[in-house]
Amino acid sequence: MVEIELKNITKTYGKTPVLKDISFVIKDEEYFIILGPTGAGKTTLLKIMAGLEHPDSGKVLFDGKDVTAKSPGERNLGFMFENYALFPHMNLVENVAYSSRVHARNKEMTNALVNQVLMMTLLTGRDNAFPEELSGGMKQRVALCRALMNLEQTKLLILDEPLKALDAGLRMNLRQELLLMAKSKELDLTVIHVTNEEQEAMMVADRIAVMNQGEIIQIGSPHEIYYHPKELFVANFLSEINYFEGICIKNETPLWDIHQKSEQKDKFYAEIHEHSSPLLLDIGFNNQFAAYVKNDFNDQIHHGDKILLVVRANHMKIRLGNRLSRKSNSFIGKILRRKFMGVFYRFEVIIRVKSKEKKIIITIPATTEIHNRFLEDSEVTVYFPKELGIVFKYPGEQIIQDILKLE
Amino acid sequence: MPEIELINVTKTFNEGKVLAVDNISLKIEDGDYVFLLGPTGCGKTTTLRMIAGLEMPTKGKVLINGKNVEAIPPEDRDMGFIFQHFEIFNHLTVWENVTFGLEMRGFEDDYIIQQAEKALKTVGILEYADEYPSVFANPGLQKLAIARAIATGANTLIMDEPLGSLDPKVSKVFRHELRNLVKDLGLTAVHVTHNQEQAMAIADKIIIMRNGKILQMGTPYALYENPNSIFVANFLGETNFLQGFVLRLLDHDLMEIWIRLGGPKIICKNPGLKFNLDNNIVIAFRYEDVYLFPMDYDFKNSLYDWSEMEFFTVTLESSRFIGETKRFYLRLENGDKFTSVKPGTFEENFFSGNQILVGVHQNDIHVFKAPSDLLYELSLS
Repeated sequence: MVEIELKNITKTYGKTPVLKDISFVIKDEEYFIILGPTGAGKTTLLKIMAGLEHPDSGKVLFDGKDVTAKSPGERNLGFMFENYALFPHMNLVENVAYSSRVHARNKEMTNALVNQVLMMTLLTGRDNAFPEELSGGMKQRVALCRALMNLEQTKLLILDEPLKALDAGLRMNLRQELLLMAKSKELDLTVIHVTNEEQEAMMVADRIAVMNQGEIIQIGSPHEIYYHPKELFVANFLSEINYFEGICIKNETPLWDIHQKSEQKDKFYAEIHEHSSPLLLDIGFNNQFAAYVKNDFNDQIHHGDKILLVVRANHMKIRLGNRLSRKSNSFIGKILRRKFMGVFYRFEVIIRVKSKEKKIIITIPATTEIHNRFLEDSEVTVYFPKELGIVFKYPGEQIIQDILKLE
Repeated sequence: MPEIELINVTKTFNEGKVLAVDNISLKIEDGDYVFLLGPTGCGKTTTLRMIAGLEMPTKGKVLINGKNVEAIPPEDRDMGFIFQHFEIFNHLTVWENVTFGLEMRGFEDDYIIQQAEKALKTVGILEYADEYPSVFANPGLQKLAIARAIATGANTLIMDEPLGSLDPKVSKVFRHELRNLVKDLGLTAVHVTHNQEQAMAIADKIIIMRNGKILQMGTPYALYENPNSIFVANFLGETNFLQGFVLRLLDHDLMEIWIRLGGPKIICKNPGLKFNLDNNIVIAFRYEDVYLFPMDYDFKNSLYDWSEMEFFTVTLESSRFIGETKRFYLRLENGDKFTSVKPGTFEENFFSGNQILVGVHQNDIHVFKAPSDLLYELSLS
């Protein structure tokens, strides 16, 4: 059993704060992902947990015991960092089996384990190759194998971008393998895995901590952070999004009120979910109103507040023709570009209302109908169900630009 | 306007000991955004360098607009170059980085100013003209590299992993901007990558290479819908493969396949009657083409036509929500595993351990002759 707790961790390199007061708990047997862009502080945080770096202040607890001052060796964990640190004078199998020497495992067991991890990482048959003969992706897999060899002794695996140098297809396969291994009953592993790829995070994590600029922005299950992102940064990091600036016209509008408003303006009608109360928004297109479920974080949005509405590209829907929907939020536009991407088609649709113009991105599953009929220049109606809108208090122009430009 | 053609081109290194490109022919039409795609060492970069004039073919011809360009050096081929590490001059300002190449070629000052302004504006960094490149993070450097490439007035962009230095998130946003820019300027682009997702997202045409040869070329749609080999099917998208043999030949160019070890029997097309009784085959179908139904689904009252759908029963091992999609990991009775992908908003009521009815449309099943080494065909390198 390994439960890890970080308490008020800070770290500064020179004058640059890298980690700003970070506290959270990783539960026993959890697959925990730390997700964020380059420079967010992910690797530093990981090194502090592994004992390869020491925090300026704060504590690291393993199962309630303070290990802040302990060396990596005393923490009993398996880790794999980006620079693979393979032994150049040992061949592939010797590199992988090295930990068996340290742990004085018997030969049979070592062989069985080595075979198992090599098979899993598709390295079988390369036993005698030396590191210099291997591609970057192969070296990475050898390093991963070595970390995996430790697992009967340690119940904690720490992985820094373990799949980074691999081709996309191989990466997909290995993600699934990693998860299966981590969740296997015999191993009872706690895994901490750092990545900058949101797909990877979503695919393996029990919980994800989203980091940016030395801070944890949000921790939650893939489902939580996807549907209830706490900030624009999180919403944007997880998929392509559309955003609209607007004003909250009403909060917690009763059902009849919306009916009335929409009838009156003959523009918009909102169905309301049983358990949620909607926000009514004016986002400046055709005086349309839009209503959205409240999420946990927008309690503080009031009548008259400036807001930012976010709709993920894959939550937008599209149909041919120019009939505004009465059941969901809709816009009329024209397909500017379309691109087949495999599983999905991606559309850029221009909506124009008087002098106002906006580009909306839509990704939808590729079907024969989409392929044959949704062509560039087609007139279309774009819409989205109100429960898939995400509303933030307006964070300010500069912040929006910084986040969306990702610089 | 450029049209690039390679005819029977071979390239060897080390006095013929290393065969990098093995007798390939291809044509790139004017205005196309073309990808050379393949695993490390497949010959894609060497091919690109021969198009650019940075390498000379050992055998064969490179034609631009029908003319053999053997004698034309890279700088006179009307091409702009963008590489993974951008090759920006850090001691020059943003402006000087762009004008440098134009000055080297001896253009008039007025023309240089006009071109540099236009290029920097196109990529959206004109306001940084007097700054040094150090103000930029990777996406900014990337834009500068593009500005420099298009400022020369080149009609073709030659790119080797141009998005390779960007964070995955940034690259996913930027790839669309890159495509739009190339299309808006009416350029021809040749782009090398090993990243199939990127190629699918940007390309007009993709040329898939392996071991120095071209395996298949065509639009992303054509390659995705009709891969000509197990490797291409596997490389370009997430695909399930099941092994079996031909049990019966049926009318209308159909056949019945029996999946190995007592797996399900599946009817699929036998185009051109390519397969015979008892042939060992591999069938391939995309993750997203696997439909899921509860065991008691009422097909009779369904609005859809399920007549060409093949059904079989599987066990749901686990499922996973990953945002845009949901993934379902499934197991056949014979132990073979495969996967279904549905949109993230797909509503279902399946639990691990449940029996589920799976449907795959006959049109979505591709059949290949069983290779001698399936693992090799499925390896992505």
